[in-house]
Amino acid sequence: MKRQELLFEQPRTLFASTPVEAEHGARDAVRLLVTTPSGHQHATFADLPRFLSAGDLLVANESATLAASLEARGPSGSYTLDLSTRYAEGLWLAEPRWDPAHPGPMPIESGEEARVGDATVRYVAPYPGIPRLWFITADRPLEPILQRAGVPIHYGYVQQVWPLDAYQSLFSRVPGSAEMPSAARPITSKIREALEAAGVRFTSVLLHSGVSSLEIETDQVEEQAVYPEPFEVSSATADLVNRTRDGGHRVIAIGTTVVRALESTWTPDGVRPRQGFTRLFVHPGNPVRSVDGLLTGFHDPVTSHLAMLAALIGLPRVMEAYREAIANGYRWHEFGDSHLILRK
Amino acid sequence: MAQSSNPVTPAQAEHVALITGASRGLGFTVAEFLARQRWTLILTARHEVPLLEAVKRLQATGASIRALPGDVSQDQHRRDLVATVRRVGRLNLLINNASELGASPFPALVDYPLDALRRVFEVNVLSPLALIHLCLPVLRKSRGLVVNITSDASRGGYPGWGGYGSSKAALDLLSKTLANELREAGVGVVAVDPGDLRTQMHQDAFPGQDISDRPLPEVTLPFWAWLEGQDPLRVSGQRFEAQGTVWEVPA
Repeated sequence: MKRQELLFEQPRTLFASTPVEAEHGARDAVRLLVTTPSGHQHATFADLPRFLSAGDLLVANESATLAASLEARGPSGSYTLDLSTRYAEGLWLAEPRWDPAHPGPMPIESGEEARVGDATVRYVAPYPGIPRLWFITADRPLEPILQRAGVPIHYGYVQQVWPLDAYQSLFSRVPGSAEMPSAARPITSKIREALEAAGVRFTSVLLHSGVSSLEIETDQVEEQAVYPEPFEVSSATADLVNRTRDGGHRVIAIGTTVVRALESTWTPDGVRPRQGFTRLFVHPGNPVRSVDGLLTGFHDPVTSHLAMLAALIGLPRVMEAYREAIANGYRWHEFGDSHLILRK
Repeated sequence: MAQSSNPVTPAQAEHVALITGASRGLGFTVAEFLARQRWTLILTARHEVPLLEAVKRLQATGASIRALPGDVSQDQHRRDLVATVRRVGRLNLLINNASELGASPFPALVDYPLDALRRVFEVNVLSPLALIHLCLPVLRKSRGLVVNITSDASRGGYPGWGGYGSSKAALDLLSKTLANELREAGVGVVAVDPGDLRTQMHQDAFPGQDISDRPLPEVTLPFWAWLEGQDPLRVSGQRFEAQGTVWEVPA
């Protein structure tokens, strides 16, 4: 697939900059676009139970968001250091940025040091194929510094930093994501109860999300380097997924992170319990087999997330849905509207 | 604010690795990645000049580097290496990376000169085992990890690759068996297939061919970063593909 195929015109006026509950009181006040084989329907998130059936299984990500954005002081002055993924004690993948709105690349050199809180971090090596990300080593654990001084990672389209709670969902349990797995954000206890009363079941996987989805830079989408993320699929979850499939019901991922985790455990006999780091890149050449649907947000042009949607329902249908969303003023990004994609 | 230009933290200063075949290619890339994290390194390679050049580059990181040129198939050289390890007093990571490709161009097994095959097994199978023998007391004390560098040729059955491939298959089984035997001693053993890389060794395996489509050894850095974070006993007995899709921790 060529990168241009994932391009679309995205009006910046559609970027959501505020959590919906700050304006409308409830997280489920966002809109819901439903894409099925028979077309697209417009709804509000509170209508979600209407589109699911008894026996369907919703799979959430129980990774909680870290306050992963820190201020660093180094040879280039003060700048933002967003932690992406913890690899080992004191060894992280991180993204240095001029500031939240300006990504760099910064003129960093291997061996360069910076002060972060009471720690000294040193740049070890750029990530192969993604030079804006660096492995950094710290002279003491960074977790306590995140707790004291970190703020949630945020970008230019968000005018203020919201409290960390705004970046957690009903399912957030294990801290470790640099960026919020945001698809579950609009699910309130009330919606969850309504779904359960209707016979829809819930389970969860763990995938600690790294910094934001990258714009694909290679001409051929499949050649883009993607970085790995820690994940875990338990035997109880694998069991539920397989029994749901065997029973002819639908498995629906809440978020692209869940698709990545479940697909990383796929075998010809279904999914299996597995944990580690996954580098899986789900694109149309790597079709989705473990899920029948995806509840997600709206994704930027030319991103790996968009390639995943194309793997799920084919690119023409994705682009059709996005035209529909733009024409109807749906809002983008972590505080934006929702998209339920069902392939059967 | 008191700030040293080379802050050495106790936690990092304690990390020590012995890497064979460290003057170039994958061995050098891993050495550089660890040196930039201020690991103490003990390095070896057969040829003195490239090894000393490599050491000069690595010392620029501020890490403590000791290098001994020599052939890992020589008993005396292995004893010298391990004497250095003992003086340092710790060994968190032993990377058996030095490998012998064998007769070139690759002969079919039916035509394989046995002396060349003996040399392949000497370097790729017996030498890593002999180093493990000698390092065991300090590995045990450090609860260290042994990494044996393997190859997809160990499973492929590719014509012409039978000499090198069978030695790596032997190394794979040796790794798996040692993992079971050394578990009680607290020492982990893994085999790592780095995948095809743009290195001199890969060029030697494909003489005269253009290998510029293969990635540089840096492509494996995320894997090494991940491996650093693993408990040696949790991953012991596994065979990893550094360029594979999933790096799995057994349940």
